Amino acid sequence: MDPRKPIIWVHEEALGPSNPAFHEYPDAPGLFVFDEDWIQHEDISRKRIGFLYESALSLPVSLRRGNVVGEVLRFGQRHGADAVITTKAVDPRLQRVSAAIDRELPVWMIDPDPFVKLLKPPRLGRFSRYWRDAEAVVWEDF
Amino acid sequence: MVIRGILSHAGSLALTTTQRQHGVPFFQLETVSRLPHAAPLSWQSESADLPRDFSDRGALNSLLKQQFPDASGELSPIQGGRDAAERQLSQINAKRYGRSRNHLNGSVTRLSPYIRHGVLTLSEVRDAVFAQLKANKQQRDEGGKLINELGWRDFWQRMWNDLGDRIHDDQEDHKTGLNPSDYQQNLPDDIREGRTGLACMDGFRNELVSHGWLHNHARMWMASYLVHWRRVHWSVGAKWFLEHLLDGDPASNHLSWQWVASCFSHKPYFFNRQNLDRYSDGSFCQECQSNQSCPFDKSYEQLEKQLFKVQQPIREGARPHRSSKPSKRKGPHQGIQRL
Repeated sequence: MDPRKPIIWVHEEALGPSNPAFHEYPDAPGLFVFDEDWIQHEDISRKRIGFLYESALSLPVSLRRGNVVGEVLRFGQRHGADAVITTKAVDPRLQRVSAAIDRELPVWMIDPDPFVKLLKPPRLGRFSRYWRDAEAVVWEDF
Repeated sequence: MVIRGILSHAGSLALTTTQRQHGVPFFQLETVSRLPHAAPLSWQSESADLPRDFSDRGALNSLLKQQFPDASGELSPIQGGRDAAERQLSQINAKRYGRSRNHLNGSVTRLSPYIRHGVLTLSEVRDAVFAQLKANKQQRDEGGKLINELGWRDFWQRMWNDLGDRIHDDQEDHKTGLNPSDYQQNLPDDIREGRTGLACMDGFRNELVSHGWLHNHARMWMASYLVHWRRVHWSVGAKWFLEHLLDGDPASNHLSWQWVASCFSHKPYFFNRQNLDRYSDGSFCQECQSNQSCPFDKSYEQLEKQLFKVQQPIREGARPHRSSKPSKRKGPHQGIQRL
Protein backbone atom coordinates (compact mmCIF):
# COMPACT_ATOMS: atom_id res chain seq x y z
CA MET A 1 0.00 0.00 0.00
CA ASP A 2 1.34 3.41 -0.92
CA PRO A 3 2.34 5.74 1.88
CA ARG A 4 -0.47 8.07 2.91
CA LYS A 5 1.31 10.28 5.39
CA PRO A 6 5.03 10.03 4.81
CA ILE A 7 7.96 12.17 5.80
CA ILE A 8 10.95 12.82 3.54
CA TRP A 9 14.46 12.03 4.71
CA VAL A 10 16.99 13.98 2.67
CA HIS A 11 20.55 12.66 2.84
CA GLU A 12 23.93 13.95 1.71
CA GLU A 13 23.61 12.67 -1.86
CA ALA A 14 20.33 14.44 -2.62
CA LEU A 15 20.56 18.04 -1.42
CA GLY A 16 19.01 19.63 -4.48
CA PRO A 17 15.58 20.64 -5.72
CA SER A 18 15.72 17.82 -8.26
CA ASN A 19 15.41 15.36 -5.40
CA PRO A 20 12.43 13.35 -6.72
CA ALA A 21 10.95 12.93 -3.24
CA PHE A 22 9.96 16.60 -3.25
CA HIS A 23 8.13 16.18 -6.54
CA GLU A 24 6.38 12.96 -5.60
CA TYR A 25 5.36 14.11 -2.11
CA PRO A 26 5.33 17.93 -2.17
CA ASP A 27 3.33 18.21 1.06
CA ALA A 28 5.40 15.80 3.14
CA PRO A 29 7.55 17.29 5.93
CA GLY A 30 11.25 16.90 5.22
CA LEU A 31 14.30 16.40 7.40
CA PHE A 32 18.07 16.55 7.01
CA VAL A 33 20.25 15.26 9.83
CA PHE A 34 23.92 16.04 10.36
CA ASP A 35 25.35 12.64 11.21
CA GLU A 36 27.42 13.26 14.32
CA ASP A 37 29.02 9.83 14.31
CA TRP A 38 30.24 10.31 10.75
CA ILE A 39 31.43 13.85 11.40
CA GLN A 40 33.40 12.83 14.46
CA HIS A 41 34.73 9.54 13.18
CA GLU A 42 35.89 10.98 9.87
CA ASP A 43 37.09 14.33 11.28
CA ILE A 44 34.86 16.21 8.87
CA SER A 45 35.90 19.86 8.77
CA ARG A 46 33.62 22.80 9.41
CA LYS A 47 33.72 23.92 5.79
CA ARG A 48 32.23 20.61 4.67
CA ILE A 49 29.49 20.86 7.29
CA GLY A 50 28.88 24.46 6.24
CA PHE A 51 28.56 23.48 2.60
CA LEU A 52 25.97 20.85 3.51
CA TYR A 53 24.18 23.36 5.74
CA GLU A 54 23.93 26.00 3.05
CA SER A 55 22.73 23.43 0.55
CA ALA A 56 20.07 22.17 2.95
CA LEU A 57 18.89 25.73 3.63
CA SER A 58 17.69 25.94 0.04
CA LEU A 59 15.32 23.07 0.65
CA PRO A 60 12.08 22.78 2.68
CA VAL A 61 13.59 20.63 5.42
CA SER A 62 14.02 20.80 9.15
CA LEU A 63 17.62 20.48 10.29
CA ARG A 64 18.85 18.36 13.15
CA ARG A 65 22.12 16.89 14.31
CA GLY A 66 22.71 13.61 16.09
CA ASN A 67 22.00 9.98 15.36
CA VAL A 68 20.35 9.90 11.95
CA VAL A 69 18.19 6.86 12.57
CA GLY A 70 16.91 8.19 15.87
CA GLU A 71 16.24 11.66 14.53
CA VAL A 72 14.37 10.42 11.46
CA LEU A 73 12.20 8.12 13.58
CA ARG A 74 11.51 10.89 16.06
CA PHE A 75 10.55 13.25 13.24
CA GLY A 76 8.31 10.58 11.77
CA GLN A 77 6.61 9.99 15.10
CA ARG A 78 6.02 13.69 15.61
CA HIS A 79 4.29 13.94 12.23
CA GLY A 80 2.38 10.69 12.59
CA ALA A 81 4.16 9.27 9.56
CA ASP A 82 3.40 5.88 8.09
CA ALA A 83 6.52 5.79 5.93
CA VAL A 84 9.81 7.48 5.11
CA ILE A 85 10.49 8.59 1.55
CA THR A 86 14.08 8.98 0.46
CA THR A 87 16.27 8.66 -2.60
CA LYS A 88 18.39 5.62 -3.27
CA ALA A 89 21.89 6.19 -1.91
CA VAL A 90 25.21 4.83 -3.11
CA ASP A 91 27.12 5.35 0.13
CA PRO A 92 27.01 2.12 2.20
CA ARG A 93 26.73 4.22 5.35
CA LEU A 94 23.50 5.75 4.10
CA GLN A 95 22.26 2.35 3.01
CA ARG A 96 22.84 1.08 6.55
CA VAL A 97 20.93 4.05 7.94
CA SER A 98 18.03 3.28 5.59
CA ALA A 99 17.98 -0.34 6.68
CA ALA A 100 17.96 0.64 10.34
CA ILE A 101 15.10 3.09 9.85
CA ASP A 102 13.19 0.51 7.87
CA ARG A 103 13.23 -1.87 10.79
CA GLU A 104 11.01 0.61 12.63
CA LEU A 105 9.21 2.54 9.89
CA PRO A 106 8.82 1.53 6.23
CA VAL A 107 11.35 3.20 3.95
CA TRP A 108 10.41 3.85 0.34
CA MET A 109 13.21 4.69 -2.03
CA ILE A 110 13.03 6.65 -5.24
CA ASP A 111 15.70 6.25 -7.88
CA PRO A 112 17.41 9.55 -8.68
CA ASP A 113 17.44 10.70 -12.28
CA PRO A 114 20.12 8.58 -13.97
CA PHE A 115 22.94 10.05 -16.04
CA VAL A 116 22.53 7.31 -18.60
CA LYS A 117 19.89 4.60 -18.90
CA LEU A 118 21.50 1.34 -19.98
CA LEU A 119 19.53 -1.72 -20.93
CA LYS A 120 21.90 -3.98 -19.04
CA PRO A 121 24.47 -3.29 -16.31
CA PRO A 122 27.68 -1.97 -17.87
CA ARG A 123 31.03 -3.66 -17.49
CA LEU A 124 33.04 -2.04 -14.74
CA GLY A 125 36.59 -2.52 -13.48
CA ARG A 126 38.06 0.03 -15.85
CA PHE A 127 36.45 3.19 -17.14
CA SER A 128 37.10 2.29 -20.76
CA ARG A 129 34.87 -0.77 -20.52
CA TYR A 130 32.03 1.21 -18.98
CA TRP A 131 32.35 4.07 -21.45
CA ARG A 132 32.26 1.73 -24.43
CA ASP A 133 28.78 0.75 -23.29
CA ALA A 134 27.59 4.16 -22.11
CA GLU A 135 28.99 6.86 -24.40
CA ALA A 136 26.74 6.36 -27.40
CA VAL A 137 23.66 6.21 -25.18
CA VAL A 138 24.59 9.45 -23.42
CA TRP A 139 24.88 11.25 -26.74
CA GLU A 140 21.52 10.01 -28.02
CA ASP A 141 19.92 13.01 -26.32
CA PHE A 142 22.14 15.51 -28.11
CA MET B 1 8.85 8.41 -11.65
CA VAL B 2 9.70 4.91 -10.59
CA ILE B 3 9.16 4.23 -6.94
CA ARG B 4 10.77 1.11 -5.66
CA GLY B 5 10.19 -0.18 -2.22
CA ILE B 6 13.19 -1.94 -0.82
CA LEU B 7 14.43 -3.76 2.17
CA SER B 8 11.57 -5.50 3.90
CA HIS B 9 9.04 -4.35 1.35
CA ALA B 10 9.99 -6.52 -1.54
CA GLY B 11 7.11 -6.66 -3.89
CA SER B 12 5.47 -3.51 -2.63
CA LEU B 13 7.85 -2.29 -2.23
CA ALA B 14 28.10 39.64 0.22
CA LEU B 15 30.02 40.44 -2.40
CA THR B 16 30.20 38.20 -5.31
CA THR B 17 33.54 38.04 -6.96
CA THR B 18 35.64 35.79 -9.08
CA GLN B 19 38.72 35.07 -7.07
CA ARG B 20 41.95 34.71 -8.91
CA GLN B 21 44.44 32.32 -7.47
CA HIS B 22 47.75 31.90 -9.21
CA GLY B 23 46.10 34.00 -11.87
CA VAL B 24 43.29 31.48 -12.09
CA PRO B 25 39.63 32.35 -12.52
CA PHE B 26 38.18 30.60 -9.52
CA PHE B 27 34.83 29.84 -8.00
CA GLN B 28 32.11 32.39 -7.92
CA LEU B 29 32.60 33.17 -4.27
CA GLU B 30 30.40 34.70 -1.65
CA THR B 31 33.14 36.40 0.26
CA VAL B 32 31.23 38.01 3.06
CA SER B 33 27.68 37.66 3.98
CA ARG B 34 24.92 36.32 1.86
CA LEU B 35 23.33 32.98 2.65
CA PRO B 36 20.83 31.02 0.62
CA HIS B 37 17.28 32.12 1.23
CA ALA B 38 15.78 29.54 3.56
CA ALA B 39 12.91 27.70 1.92
CA PRO B 40 9.68 28.12 3.96
CA LEU B 41 8.36 25.19 5.98
CA SER B 42 4.70 24.25 6.23
CA TRP B 43 5.13 22.79 9.73
CA GLN B 44 6.22 24.18 13.08
CA SER B 45 9.87 24.00 14.04
CA GLU B 46 10.94 22.36 17.26
CA SER B 47 13.24 23.83 19.83
CA ALA B 48 15.90 21.22 19.10
CA ASP B 49 15.91 22.03 15.39
CA LEU B 50 18.97 23.77 14.07
CA PRO B 51 18.23 27.34 12.97
CA ARG B 52 17.44 28.18 9.36
CA ASP B 53 17.61 31.94 9.50
CA PHE B 54 20.93 33.73 9.75
CA SER B 55 21.93 37.33 9.41
CA ASP B 56 25.03 36.39 7.47
CA ARG B 57 27.63 33.66 6.96
CA GLY B 58 29.47 34.80 10.07
CA ALA B 59 26.43 33.81 12.13
CA LEU B 60 26.41 30.40 10.46
CA ASN B 61 30.11 30.01 11.15
CA SER B 62 29.52 30.83 14.83
CA LEU B 63 26.68 28.35 15.08
CA LEU B 64 28.77 25.59 13.55
CA LYS B 65 31.60 26.36 15.94
CA GLN B 66 29.16 25.94 18.81
CA GLN B 67 27.31 22.89 17.50
CA PHE B 68 30.31 21.04 16.08
CA PRO B 69 33.22 22.13 18.29
CA ASP B 70 35.52 19.34 17.11
CA ALA B 71 35.16 20.21 13.42
CA SER B 72 38.30 22.05 12.39
CA GLY B 73 38.68 25.23 10.39
CA GLU B 74 36.28 27.84 9.12
CA LEU B 75 33.64 28.05 6.41
CA SER B 76 34.91 27.75 2.87
CA PRO B 77 34.49 30.80 0.66
CA ILE B 78 32.82 28.36 -1.74
CA GLN B 79 29.15 28.55 -0.97
CA GLY B 80 26.71 25.67 -0.93
CA GLY B 81 23.15 25.73 -2.21
CA ARG B 82 21.32 25.74 -5.47
CA ASP B 83 21.79 29.41 -6.33
CA ALA B 84 25.55 29.11 -6.00
CA ALA B 85 25.46 25.92 -8.04
CA GLU B 86 23.54 27.59 -10.83
CA ARG B 87 25.93 30.52 -10.87
CA GLN B 88 28.81 28.09 -11.24
CA LEU B 89 26.97 26.12 -13.91
CA SER B 90 26.45 29.29 -15.92
CA GLN B 91 30.24 29.69 -16.11
CA ILE B 92 31.03 26.41 -17.86
CA ASN B 93 32.66 26.48 -21.25
CA ALA B 94 32.74 22.99 -22.71
CA LYS B 95 35.04 23.84 -25.57
CA ARG B 96 37.64 25.58 -23.41
CA TYR B 97 37.36 22.78 -20.88
CA GLY B 98 38.42 20.31 -23.51
CA ARG B 99 41.49 22.33 -24.41
CA SER B 100 42.71 23.55 -21.06
CA ARG B 101 41.50 21.30 -18.27
CA ASN B 102 44.94 19.93 -17.33
CA HIS B 103 46.27 23.38 -16.46
CA LEU B 104 45.65 24.80 -13.01
CA ASN B 105 44.32 27.92 -14.68
CA GLY B 106 42.33 25.89 -17.16
CA SER B 107 38.63 26.23 -17.72
CA VAL B 108 37.47 23.50 -15.39
CA THR B 109 33.89 23.64 -14.15
CA ARG B 110 34.34 23.44 -10.36
CA LEU B 111 30.93 21.82 -10.15
CA SER B 112 32.11 18.75 -8.26
CA PRO B 113 30.94 19.85 -4.76
CA TYR B 114 27.44 20.47 -6.09
CA ILE B 115 27.28 17.24 -8.08
CA ARG B 116 28.65 15.24 -5.17
CA HIS B 117 25.76 16.28 -2.95
CA GLY B 118 23.01 16.25 -5.52
CA VAL B 119 22.61 20.03 -5.52
CA LEU B 120 23.02 19.58 -9.26
CA THR B 121 22.48 16.23 -10.91
CA LEU B 122 24.72 14.82 -13.58
CA SER B 123 21.73 14.89 -15.90
CA GLU B 124 21.28 18.61 -15.35
CA VAL B 125 24.92 19.29 -16.12
CA ARG B 126 24.80 17.02 -19.17
CA ASP B 127 21.75 18.89 -20.46
CA ALA B 128 23.46 22.24 -19.82
CA VAL B 129 26.45 21.12 -21.87
CA PHE B 130 24.21 19.94 -24.70
CA ALA B 131 22.30 23.23 -24.61
CA GLN B 132 25.53 25.21 -24.77
CA LEU B 133 26.81 23.22 -27.72
CA LYS B 134 23.56 23.72 -29.59
CA ALA B 135 23.34 27.42 -28.77
CA ASN B 136 26.88 27.94 -30.02
CA LYS B 137 26.34 25.71 -33.04
CA GLN B 138 29.19 23.53 -31.82
CA GLN B 139 29.73 19.91 -32.67
CA ARG B 140 29.76 16.94 -30.37
CA ASP B 141 33.56 16.82 -30.35
CA GLU B 142 33.72 20.24 -28.74
CA GLY B 143 31.87 18.98 -25.68
CA GLY B 144 33.24 15.47 -25.70
CA LYS B 145 35.83 15.89 -22.97
CA LEU B 146 33.38 17.40 -20.53
CA ILE B 147 30.72 14.77 -21.18
CA ASN B 148 33.43 12.16 -20.77
CA GLU B 149 34.27 13.65 -17.39
CA LEU B 150 30.65 13.41 -16.31
CA GLY B 151 30.88 9.79 -17.34
CA TRP B 152 33.76 9.39 -14.92
CA ARG B 153 31.58 10.57 -12.07
CA ASP B 154 28.90 8.07 -13.05
CA PHE B 155 31.53 5.33 -13.35
CA TRP B 156 32.89 6.00 -9.86
CA GLN B 157 29.41 5.83 -8.39
CA ARG B 158 28.72 2.53 -10.13
CA MET B 159 32.05 1.20 -8.85
CA TRP B 160 31.16 2.27 -5.32
CA ASN B 161 27.76 0.67 -5.60
CA ASP B 162 29.51 -2.50 -6.72
CA LEU B 163 32.32 -2.46 -4.15
CA GLY B 164 30.55 -1.04 -1.13
CA ASP B 165 32.88 -0.82 1.85
CA ARG B 166 35.60 -2.62 -0.13
CA ILE B 167 36.35 0.79 -1.61
CA HIS B 168 38.63 1.20 1.42
CA ASP B 169 40.75 -1.84 0.52
CA ASP B 170 43.62 -2.16 -1.95
CA GLN B 171 41.97 -3.21 -5.18
CA GLU B 172 45.16 -4.81 -6.53
CA ASP B 173 48.77 -5.38 -5.52
CA HIS B 174 51.13 -2.41 -5.57
CA LYS B 175 53.40 -2.35 -8.63
CA THR B 176 56.17 -0.34 -7.02
CA GLY B 177 58.14 -3.27 -5.67
CA LEU B 178 57.18 -2.14 -2.17
CA ASN B 179 54.91 -3.86 0.30
CA PRO B 180 51.88 -2.12 1.79
CA SER B 181 53.70 -2.22 5.14
CA ASP B 182 56.49 -0.09 3.66
CA TYR B 183 54.11 2.87 3.64
CA GLN B 184 53.63 4.79 6.87
CA GLN B 185 50.20 5.02 8.46
CA ASN B 186 50.46 8.58 9.73
CA LEU B 187 50.28 11.87 7.91
CA PRO B 188 53.55 13.75 8.54
CA ASP B 189 53.05 16.99 10.45
CA ASP B 190 54.87 19.12 7.90
CA ILE B 191 52.38 18.03 5.23
CA ARG B 192 49.33 18.45 7.44
CA GLU B 193 50.52 21.90 8.50
CA GLY B 194 51.75 23.06 5.11
CA ARG B 195 55.39 23.57 5.99
CA THR B 196 57.24 21.17 3.73
CA GLY B 197 59.17 24.07 2.27
CA LEU B 198 57.88 23.15 -1.18
CA ALA B 199 55.83 26.05 -2.51
CA CYS B 200 53.66 23.79 -4.66
CA MET B 201 52.78 21.24 -1.99
CA ASP B 202 52.30 23.84 0.73
CA GLY B 203 50.17 25.86 -1.66
CA PHE B 204 48.00 22.86 -2.48
CA ARG B 205 47.65 22.06 1.21
CA ASN B 206 46.61 25.62 1.98
CA GLU B 207 43.99 25.62 -0.75
CA LEU B 208 42.70 22.24 0.37
CA VAL B 209 42.34 23.37 3.96
CA SER B 210 40.98 26.86 3.31
CA HIS B 211 38.73 26.22 0.31
CA GLY B 212 38.04 22.51 0.36
CA TRP B 213 38.69 22.18 -3.35
CA LEU B 214 41.71 21.42 -5.51
CA HIS B 215 42.24 21.14 -9.23
CA ASN B 216 42.52 17.54 -10.37
CA HIS B 217 46.15 17.92 -11.35
CA ALA B 218 47.03 19.33 -7.93
CA ARG B 219 45.30 16.34 -6.33
CA MET B 220 47.37 13.99 -8.47
CA TRP B 221 50.65 15.73 -7.71
CA MET B 222 49.96 15.90 -4.01
CA ALA B 223 48.85 12.27 -3.84
CA SER B 224 51.94 11.20 -5.74
CA TYR B 225 54.20 13.23 -3.46
CA LEU B 226 52.69 11.70 -0.34
CA VAL B 227 52.69 8.12 -1.56
CA HIS B 228 55.89 7.90 -3.56
CA TRP B 229 58.23 10.54 -2.16
CA ARG B 230 57.09 10.38 1.46
CA ARG B 231 56.00 6.72 1.50
CA VAL B 232 52.66 7.49 3.14
CA HIS B 233 50.00 4.84 2.60
CA TRP B 234 47.39 6.01 0.11
CA SER B 235 44.56 5.49 2.59
CA VAL B 236 46.08 8.05 4.97
CA GLY B 237 46.15 10.73 2.31
CA ALA B 238 42.73 9.75 1.04
CA LYS B 239 41.21 10.16 4.50
CA TRP B 240 42.90 13.53 4.92
CA PHE B 241 41.44 14.73 1.62
CA LEU B 242 37.96 13.64 2.68
CA GLU B 243 38.23 15.67 5.85
CA HIS B 244 38.48 18.78 3.72
CA LEU B 245 37.14 18.32 0.19
CA LEU B 246 33.68 19.76 -0.30
CA ASP B 247 33.24 17.17 -3.04
CA GLY B 248 34.63 14.48 -0.75
CA ASP B 249 33.48 11.27 -2.31
CA PRO B 250 35.06 7.99 -1.23
CA ALA B 251 34.45 6.47 -4.64
CA SER B 252 36.44 8.84 -6.82
CA ASN B 253 38.78 9.87 -4.02
CA HIS B 254 39.85 6.44 -2.81
CA LEU B 255 40.07 4.84 -6.22
CA SER B 256 42.01 7.78 -7.59
CA TRP B 257 44.48 7.61 -4.71
CA GLN B 258 44.83 3.92 -5.45
CA TRP B 259 45.39 4.71 -9.10
CA VAL B 260 48.26 6.99 -8.09
CA ALA B 261 49.63 4.37 -5.69
CA SER B 262 49.37 1.63 -8.37
CA CYS B 263 46.86 -0.62 -6.62
CA PHE B 264 44.10 0.38 -9.03
CA SER B 265 46.27 0.69 -12.13
CA HIS B 266 49.10 -1.00 -13.95
CA LYS B 267 51.76 1.52 -12.90
CA PRO B 268 52.30 4.17 -10.26
CA TYR B 269 51.68 7.78 -11.22
CA PHE B 270 54.58 10.15 -10.68
CA PHE B 271 55.70 13.46 -12.11
CA ASN B 272 58.69 15.75 -12.23
CA ARG B 273 59.33 19.45 -11.87
CA GLN B 274 59.06 20.12 -15.57
CA ASN B 275 55.59 18.62 -15.62
CA LEU B 276 54.39 20.54 -12.56
CA ASP B 277 55.92 23.78 -13.78
CA ARG B 278 54.25 23.42 -17.15
CA TYR B 279 50.73 22.78 -15.94
CA SER B 280 50.93 25.28 -13.10
CA ASP B 281 52.28 27.88 -15.54
CA GLY B 282 55.35 28.47 -13.41
CA SER B 283 53.37 29.83 -10.52
CA PHE B 284 55.22 27.96 -7.78
CA CYS B 285 58.82 27.24 -8.69
CA GLN B 286 60.17 30.75 -8.97
CA GLU B 287 59.12 31.72 -5.47
CA CYS B 288 59.91 28.36 -3.90
CA GLN B 289 62.50 28.33 -1.13
CA SER B 290 63.48 24.86 -2.31
CA ASN B 291 64.06 26.06 -5.84
CA GLN B 292 67.67 24.87 -5.77
CA SER B 293 66.93 21.61 -3.97
CA CYS B 294 63.65 20.57 -5.55
CA PRO B 295 62.95 16.86 -5.05
CA PHE B 296 61.07 16.79 -8.33
CA ASP B 297 63.84 18.32 -10.42
CA LYS B 298 65.07 15.09 -11.97
CA SER B 299 64.52 13.03 -15.05
CA TYR B 300 61.86 10.37 -15.01
CA GLU B 301 64.55 7.72 -15.23
CA GLN B 302 66.25 9.11 -12.13
CA LEU B 303 62.98 9.29 -10.26
CA GLU B 304 62.07 5.73 -11.14
CA LYS B 305 65.32 4.52 -9.62
CA GLN B 306 64.86 6.67 -6.56
CA LEU B 307 61.20 6.00 -5.82
CA PHE B 308 60.54 2.40 -6.77
CA LYS B 309 62.16 -0.98 -6.28
CA VAL B 310 60.84 -2.41 -9.51
CA GLN B 311 61.79 -0.31 -12.48
CA GLN B 312 61.45 -2.15 -15.72
CA PRO B 313 57.67 -2.74 -15.63
CA ILE B 314 57.15 0.88 -14.70
CA ARG B 315 59.26 2.24 -17.49
CA GLU B 316 57.60 0.21 -20.17
CA GLY B 317 55.05 2.41 -21.81
CA ALA B 318 55.19 4.88 -18.97
CA ARG B 319 55.23 8.02 -21.04
CA PRO B 320 51.51 8.73 -21.00
CA HIS B 321 51.66 8.71 -17.21
CA ARG B 322 54.58 11.02 -17.06
CA SER B 323 53.49 13.62 -19.48
CA SER B 324 49.99 14.22 -18.13
CA LYS B 325 49.26 15.61 -21.52
CA PRO B 326 45.66 15.35 -22.60
CA SER B 327 46.61 12.13 -24.30
CA LYS B 328 44.47 9.60 -26.05
CA ARG B 329 45.27 7.09 -23.36
CA LYS B 330 42.20 6.10 -21.41
CA GLY B 331 43.34 5.76 -17.84
CA PRO B 332 41.78 6.49 -14.50
CA HIS B 333 43.92 9.60 -14.13
CA GLN B 334 41.58 11.29 -16.56
CA GLY B 335 38.91 11.06 -13.95
CA ILE B 336 40.33 12.19 -10.65
CA GLN B 337 37.67 14.71 -9.76
CA ARG B 338 38.70 17.23 -12.31
CA LEU B 339 35.30 18.86 -12.54
